[in-house]
Amino acid sequence: MQNEEQALEDGKFEAVTSPVSAFDVWANFGDDNTMQEESVVQAEEGKKVPFVGDKEPLSTLAAEYESGSPILLEKIKVLDKQYSAIRRTRGDGNCFFRSFMFSYLEHILQCQDLAEVERIKMNVEECRKTLQKLGYPDLTFEDFFALFLEQLEDVIQGKETSLSHDELVFRSRDQSISDYVVMFFRFVTSGEIQKRSEFFEPFILGLTNSTVEQFCKSSVEPMGEESDHVHIIALSDALGIPIRVMYLDRSSCDTGGVSVNHHDFIPAAGDLPRTSCGSEASSPFITLLYRPGHYDILYPK
Amino acid sequence: MAEKYNLKNPAVKRILQEVKEMQSNPSDDFMSLPLEENIFEWQFAIRGPCDTEFEGGIYHGRIQLPAEYPFKPPSFMLLTPNGRFETQTKICLSISNHHPEHWQPSWSVRTALVALIAFMPTNPNGALGSLDYKKEERRALAIKSREAPPRCGTPERQKLIDEIHEYMLSKAPPVPQQSLSQDPEEHPRNEEAEAQVSPPNPEAIPAGEGLPDEAEVDRIVEESPANDNANPVGVEVPREIPASASSSQLPRPQTSVQKPDDRLFTLAAIGLTIAIMVLLLKKFIKSIEHGAVFMDGS
Repeated sequence: MQNEEQALEDGKFEAVTSPVSAFDVWANFGDDNTMQEESVVQAEEGKKVPFVGDKEPLSTLAAEYESGSPILLEKIKVLDKQYSAIRRTRGDGNCFFRSFMFSYLEHILQCQDLAEVERIKMNVEECRKTLQKLGYPDLTFEDFFALFLEQLEDVIQGKETSLSHDELVFRSRDQSISDYVVMFFRFVTSGEIQKRSEFFEPFILGLTNSTVEQFCKSSVEPMGEESDHVHIIALSDALGIPIRVMYLDRSSCDTGGVSVNHHDFIPAAGDLPRTSCGSEASSPFITLLYRPGHYDILYPK
Repeated sequence: MAEKYNLKNPAVKRILQEVKEMQSNPSDDFMSLPLEENIFEWQFAIRGPCDTEFEGGIYHGRIQLPAEYPFKPPSFMLLTPNGRFETQTKICLSISNHHPEHWQPSWSVRTALVALIAFMPTNPNGALGSLDYKKEERRALAIKSREAPPRCGTPERQKLIDEIHEYMLSKAPPVPQQSLSQDPEEHPRNEEAEAQVSPPNPEAIPAGEGLPDEAEVDRIVEESPANDNANPVGVEVPREIPASASSSQLPRPQTSVQKPDDRLFTLAAIGLTIAIMVLLLKKFIKSIEHGAVFMDGS
């Protein structure tokens, strides 16, 4: 650190005496230091958990809490009756969006629900118009939209570009795709919150005591900002996709047997996807496991 | 330019779009283009905001876009001495008034330049890389900034800088005369003066027309120093111009802004005064001598 400062000093001295050599200073110009540190932290985290992990049996969850709280172990037993597997996502503040991304694309890949693809595309176009009306220049969001739509097309089978399940996992771990899709969801969420700011205002005031716009700028659009109920409601509403969240926390119910709290986020709009495969009618096909501060994907039996 | 780059790279795609957008919607307030050899390296110039001591100034700088752009923010550095931001030093402009460290992909180079212009007249409040020069000094630098673009870098970069300077000269109204703000009665005379200074500017922009979008600027804040023991601002500056601290305590004489002609006049006046004094003294001595003679005589 000190060396770098010294170099900076020298660089500046040169800068005044000869303008040409001033351009060598550029090396010291960025906040390379902090960026490097950041990426080191991320890389370490990345070694432990990729953006999207492998599917693991639910028993690995129990193993995590082996010597932990009995309430949690009881709850995991309850979960074990309904769910067969868990897929972990990296705890980088984007886990909700990343879990949602993988879960949704995997659903389309497995069900080949073309009607749902058409339905969501229309909603995506609505979101695009929302952002335009809010004054976002096209160039600031169109890449993210295009990349999501590309993934959506690619999970539909029968084309040269079609993805296998392994390729979908691979892409979800590729930062240049995964982060772009996450950012797409952040744009959609931010647009929805601002479009219906009157509806969201009370929630946001309760959370952060900031205006709707400030909230979007500070807690929705920046990468790595964790998601709250507000984000989930907005994303679910904007795309018209129901989401179930199972809560694995220490809260216990007094009325006898242990149960796991859950909440279904059902979009306000009328055009729900038909649940064409796997799950029962009217229940969400995306199920996330929430542990305080983190979301992973759950697979029902 | 596009052929050299991998268009599949999202950062490249985004940057090329911003270039296109910048070219199709040119602004009178700023101009910015990437180097042909490296689209992650941009040159820019902004014009000093109207009704401030920076009015008429043309301030050059460079931008570096990170490989992770637009997820990571661009870095800005000014090259033209301006009295508000240090040159050759990264400007700490983070965008968001809530969490200053948060840049977001929905912003662009354009947004950041608009923010930079808006920051010129604001109080630096000790932010890192900021200067707090007196208005007269800033005005003098604004005048100087029009004379020639900064010289630096490769010939290719220099060519780009020169082009940008030409463009900005044709768009930026001249620096208003100093008396303008102090003595409104002299207004007509000043307009004459302006007309003389700027022949290449027939369609001068009406003042205030190009003011930056306030809504956008609202979200953008200048970073305050994170810790007080970081590089003290004053230490690096004095080689060029007196640092903010010293200059605010010791007001600089007005002569720093005066033109050579004025100095000549002053010299002539002083010379004349001295000559008259000498003559008077001579007469005085003479009269005393006369007196003495009379005294002697009596």
